[in-house]
Amino acid sequence: MATITTPAEREIRIERVFDAARDRVWKAFTDPALVAQWWGRGNKLVVERMEVERGGHWRFVEHSAEGVHGFEGRYREVTPPERIVHTFEWDGLPGYVVINDTTFEDLGDGRTKIVTTSLFYASEERDGMLASGMEEGLNQSYAALDRLLANTR
Amino acid sequence: MIFFRGPFKLNHMVQYPPSLDRAFSALSDPTRRGILVRLGRGDASITDLAGQFDMTLTGMKKHVHVLEHAGLVTTQKVGRVRSARLGPRRLQDESEWIEMYQRMLNDRLNRLEEFLERTRGEE
Repeated sequence: MATITTPAEREIRIERVFDAARDRVWKAFTDPALVAQWWGRGNKLVVERMEVERGGHWRFVEHSAEGVHGFEGRYREVTPPERIVHTFEWDGLPGYVVINDTTFEDLGDGRTKIVTTSLFYASEERDGMLASGMEEGLNQSYAALDRLLANTR
Repeated sequence: MIFFRGPFKLNHMVQYPPSLDRAFSALSDPTRRGILVRLGRGDASITDLAGQFDMTLTGMKKHVHVLEHAGLVTTQKVGRVRSARLGPRRLQDESEWIEMYQRMLNDRLNRLEEFLERTRGEE
């Protein structure tokens, strides 16, 4: 079940419950051999770096039919098996750093709840990297998806 | 198309539009980002764009094609001149990025769920 709340405009929070013990879920997030099997969203994933410790560097590169997409960041906090805080940056938007905080909770019945909070930096000025001066318009499929996800809380 | 397995479960049956990867590809190149900024100030012919970005017409056509494939740019031939303008999809800077990120994260968590189901008992 996906729960999405937006407590502030700059933050998104997603909760999920997985039918797996916490250690398995933790390993899926922190073992490079396992990460490569799901993080790529169906695309081939190359784990170039993954130093799961405070200050460690991670860099993953997805290879899709449409091109190559690199993501990277640093770990701010790693507290096994309950919390990982790291930065997240995409090659295509350098400087747009997201801080991602993921907690892992053992629900006591073989299931694990993860809560991931992503904090975005919202600049006051209008962004110049993407086309500035453009008219605002919201893609209808995004709006529909947002409504759909809000309704599945 | 979006399917539900149950009343409240959103899982791998959800199919996200393929354009997320196209948007990533379109935006991952600094020249293409520059083209979007330039077109934000007004339409331009492909020839003009090639001149402004100091590249061959063939090179510029390739970039414009990637942007067109992602729906970020539309081209039209008027007489012998092909010109480009923004659209139909528009980018709203950070809010578009936040939405892309959210879709990407949900997609990943769906895949994680599938992975955990698939590898159950393999410990």
